[in-house]
Amino acid sequence: MNASTITLHVPQRSKIAGRMDFFQMASGVLLILFLWAHMLLVSSVILSPSLMNGIAWFFEATYMAQIGGPAIFVLMVVHFILAARKMPFKQDEWKTFRVHARMLQHKDTTMWLVQVISAILILVLGAVHMFVVLTDLPITAAKSAARIQSGWLYLYLVLLPMAELHVGVGFYRIGVKYGFVGRSKRKWFQKTENVMMIGFITIGLLTLVRFMLLNIQG
Amino acid sequence: MNRMLTLNIFRYNPLDPDSTPRMQTFTVQEYDSMTLFIALTQIRDEKDPTLKVDFCCRAGICGSCAMVINGRPGLACHTQTKDLPAEITLHPLPFFQLLGDLSVDTGSWFRKTGLQIEAWCHSDDKAFDPTAEEMRMDNDLANEIFELDRCIECGCCMAACGTARMRTDFLGAVSIMRVARFYLDPRDKRSEDDYYEVIGNDQGVFGCMGLLACEDVCPKGIPLQDQLGIMRRMMAMHSVKGVLPRPLIETIKKKGCCHAHAQS
Repeated sequence: MNASTITLHVPQRSKIAGRMDFFQMASGVLLILFLWAHMLLVSSVILSPSLMNGIAWFFEATYMAQIGGPAIFVLMVVHFILAARKMPFKQDEWKTFRVHARMLQHKDTTMWLVQVISAILILVLGAVHMFVVLTDLPITAAKSAARIQSGWLYLYLVLLPMAELHVGVGFYRIGVKYGFVGRSKRKWFQKTENVMMIGFITIGLLTLVRFMLLNIQG
Repeated sequence: MNRMLTLNIFRYNPLDPDSTPRMQTFTVQEYDSMTLFIALTQIRDEKDPTLKVDFCCRAGICGSCAMVINGRPGLACHTQTKDLPAEITLHPLPFFQLLGDLSVDTGSWFRKTGLQIEAWCHSDDKAFDPTAEEMRMDNDLANEIFELDRCIECGCCMAACGTARMRTDFLGAVSIMRVARFYLDPRDKRSEDDYYEVIGNDQGVFGCMGLLACEDVCPKGIPLQDQLGIMRRMMAMHSVKGVLPRPLIETIKKKGCCHAHAQS
């Protein structure tokens, strides 16, 4: 028996803090890669609905949608729980940070608040989106278009910018927090990330427009 | 054309039960190359000698005159009034204990934290021999360590840190950079395990949220976030030894900014 299992007076050497931080970062990276790939694959409908259908068929034939979909949901929840350790859930923490951000008028400090709010919205709206899509397989362009045209557009108009914003800011922050991006490259990295963020939001909006205009009768 | 400056200054004496926090306005005639420190000295000399402001060196070396200048932590002696608007609002640094008006006690916090991170060379408790020749060190390495030793402990980074404001037990960029300084020093015999025990937790490197304000306000321009990043990466990789394959750990350790003259 280890002494620290019977008393808290003996500090225990534990690597759990580092591991949780690493897996928060790693799950974030995986979700970023997933979201970018997801956006590009769904936007194939802009080129041709049958191309999107073909891609969707491939992912279902290989069971990647059936297994990968729920796995991504689990990854999202795990990432949320790990990252939520830093969130200002206590009222005084929230107030302190708000007052601080207002005082400092500092972009990266304010963007963290945006990340906190977007995280909660993504968790809720993303879960709804995943449930609706994964319980109505197979995915087809016609079914997606019917959903968008029947009022779900508003959900995506919130989810799309929130997800891209969260991913963009998170991507930049991982680079900074882990020192992958040093001081000399930080400005360039932020600019690149902003361009990518605007690019993905534009692709997403074009995809939504395409779904709105798609003829679902024939 | 020199302006008439309006300074709105926070006034409060926490030791006086009759004192209530308030803002007091003073006007000062600006002149060429005037610093905020000079403006404050003028107010103390000519208008209100009870105004509490810390200062010592007047040259950005002692770090005493740090305060919040129009929302941003900075040194009064390092700030020229020509770089500010005509209306200037001054607050004491948050995070530290208020002594009165613009004066805060940074020293107690730095001493407590210095002890917590054991900010000294751990040389296997060998007895110091004053007659022995000093250990030789590569010049480039000495310069790299010196770069991190330039910190004047003004406390601006802590006051600008959103994490430290929310969680007062956070060690902050200054302490982690101090640990990085010893991590680089070949005279310090601490192992990665020892360093992990000191900063490998949410009060240390893993608490940082990458808000970057510490580095953006540092009056000495020290690359704080780079040091936080390096130490976080080293500590995180240390924690996943045995979980991830060794080549991957070594690759991640060398990605991005690194200590150029690290021993290991």
